[in-house]
Amino acid sequence: MQPKIEDIFNMIRINNIKNYLLLLIVSFAFSFQALAEVDGAQIFKQNCTACHVLGETKLIGPGLKGITEKRDKGWLKKWINNSSELIASGDEDAIAIFEEYNKVAMTNFYFSDEEFEALFGYLENPPVEEAPVAIQNTVVAEEEGLSASTQMMLIALVLLTLIYILTSVKNSLKESLGQNTESVSATVQSNFTLFFSKTINKLFVGLFFAIIILKIVYDAMMGVGVTTNYQPEQPIAFSHKIHAGDNGIDCNYCHVSARKSKHSSIPSANVCMNCHASIVEGSIAGATELQKIYDAVGYDPDKRQYIEGYEQKPIEWVRIHNLPDLAYFNHSQHVNVGKIECQECHGAIEEMDVVKQENDLTMGWCINCHRETEVKMEGNDYYTSLHEKMKEQYSGEKITVDKIGGLECGKCHY
Amino acid sequence: MNKLILKLALISGIVFLSSCTSDTGYEFMPNMYRSPSIETYAEHTISGYDGIPVEGTVARGYLSTFNYDETLDGYLLAGKNAVNPLENNTENLADGRALYGMFCEHCHGATGSGDGTVTHPIYSAVPHYNDDKLKRRCDVPMCDLKAGHIFHAITYGLNAMGPHASQISENERWKITLYVQEELQNLGK
Repeated sequence: MQPKIEDIFNMIRINNIKNYLLLLIVSFAFSFQALAEVDGAQIFKQNCTACHVLGETKLIGPGLKGITEKRDKGWLKKWINNSSELIASGDEDAIAIFEEYNKVAMTNFYFSDEEFEALFGYLENPPVEEAPVAIQNTVVAEEEGLSASTQMMLIALVLLTLIYILTSVKNSLKESLGQNTESVSATVQSNFTLFFSKTINKLFVGLFFAIIILKIVYDAMMGVGVTTNYQPEQPIAFSHKIHAGDNGIDCNYCHVSARKSKHSSIPSANVCMNCHASIVEGSIAGATELQKIYDAVGYDPDKRQYIEGYEQKPIEWVRIHNLPDLAYFNHSQHVNVGKIECQECHGAIEEMDVVKQENDLTMGWCINCHRETEVKMEGNDYYTSLHEKMKEQYSGEKITVDKIGGLECGKCHY
Repeated sequence: MNKLILKLALISGIVFLSSCTSDTGYEFMPNMYRSPSIETYAEHTISGYDGIPVEGTVARGYLSTFNYDETLDGYLLAGKNAVNPLENNTENLADGRALYGMFCEHCHGATGSGDGTVTHPIYSAVPHYNDDKLKRRCDVPMCDLKAGHIFHAITYGLNAMGPHASQISENERWKITLYVQEELQNLGK
């Protein structure tokens, strides 16, 4: 029996739809498979790293190296999903851990079976730790060119050889003409006496040396008490470049009192410990520099806890910026009201590994800034009425600090 | 007579220069730079004075009004009971934003999603303020953290975060709390 053409068409259509359906189902199944393939590393990173590391060191909870061999899989699952229930059920291991970690309960994570499997798989085969590569401090030999004194020496040397060559040429010329020759030293001496026989020449040379000496004395006097570029070695090799630069931590985070008082405070060691109770190895010096903080406050980086009854020692930082008592300077004034960025006076601290004094901190430097800096009047109620008056008085001009009394002696010297 | 003056000048010059040398170069009147009276961060030789205030001293304006202790119970209790005493106005919010930038942003990120500039692996899992799933110790998701929870965490620290009480005054902590609650927790909603 021959099927009708219509029927055949129908069959083909049905077959096609079936195929499509099959394809759809298969692709759905595959995509579900893809969804179900949860990433153990990601689960670990999102949920666990706040309290655990993959190594041996303790953070808030224990280090998880080799945990899958130490504990039974079923036990681990119970513990992660609901540790307090496991403790309450009287499990000895669970109670021991709870006691060891100062009775801080672990958060309950209700992971699905797939998630737990993925996490367990990740814990079983953690990524191989890369051995820390010792960062070599590549010291770039700075070629500053020749210093001023060597340049002077070279010039003098060239002049001397010139004198020598010229006189010998003159001598050989005289010799060929059959005239009397004289030695090089005799020529120089005779010219010298000839030069100084005139008073005007004596005066000129005298004035020349007097000016040089005066300039040297002037520079020396102006340098008294000025310590630009002072860069002492500090007791701890703390790098502002790493903290303020690379990690972008605000200056105010550590120097809290710059906003509030005359001094910008050096952070006490407890501020260091906000992060370094957890981060026990630095990126450059490893643990050696951090150990100096732990020695000061009494902290055991292996056990991650403070040593009880430890006699704390101060860290004696070396002061760099130091104004004499005859001048008054207040940080909070400049930071809060003046809204001056720290870098305007201290330079690009966030790029310095070792801090140095960027500006000379002389009176001329202060005054200069007061003459150039505009007063930030906006949003400051104290200035509202003053601002109107000043705008009339100095129509169109910039209202700089000196116009509101920033150059008065008594503002800084009293 | 001339010779005498010259000699005197020479001697006084040598004494003047040799008396005030230091690593920082020559100083005119060194007492002005290292004052004999006690100054901030200066060394002193007074015996028995260690610069630490008497135990129990409260600095003016620093009387604690947040009386919850540094335990999980204190944390939960603070979350339940503590109320932010500050008014929700633009000024307090602006202050809160500025303070958040100084003290929190490098870890918690500008939008509170934990994407700050500190990238150390230990601080790689900073929780989001607007996370509506992840439950922490208080058993509510991050986006529902109460003012007391946030204040307690800033004051005493939480997990890998250290206590910030010495850096941020109570008033400032409430301002930060206000900013986090008003701006950051609502970002995802």
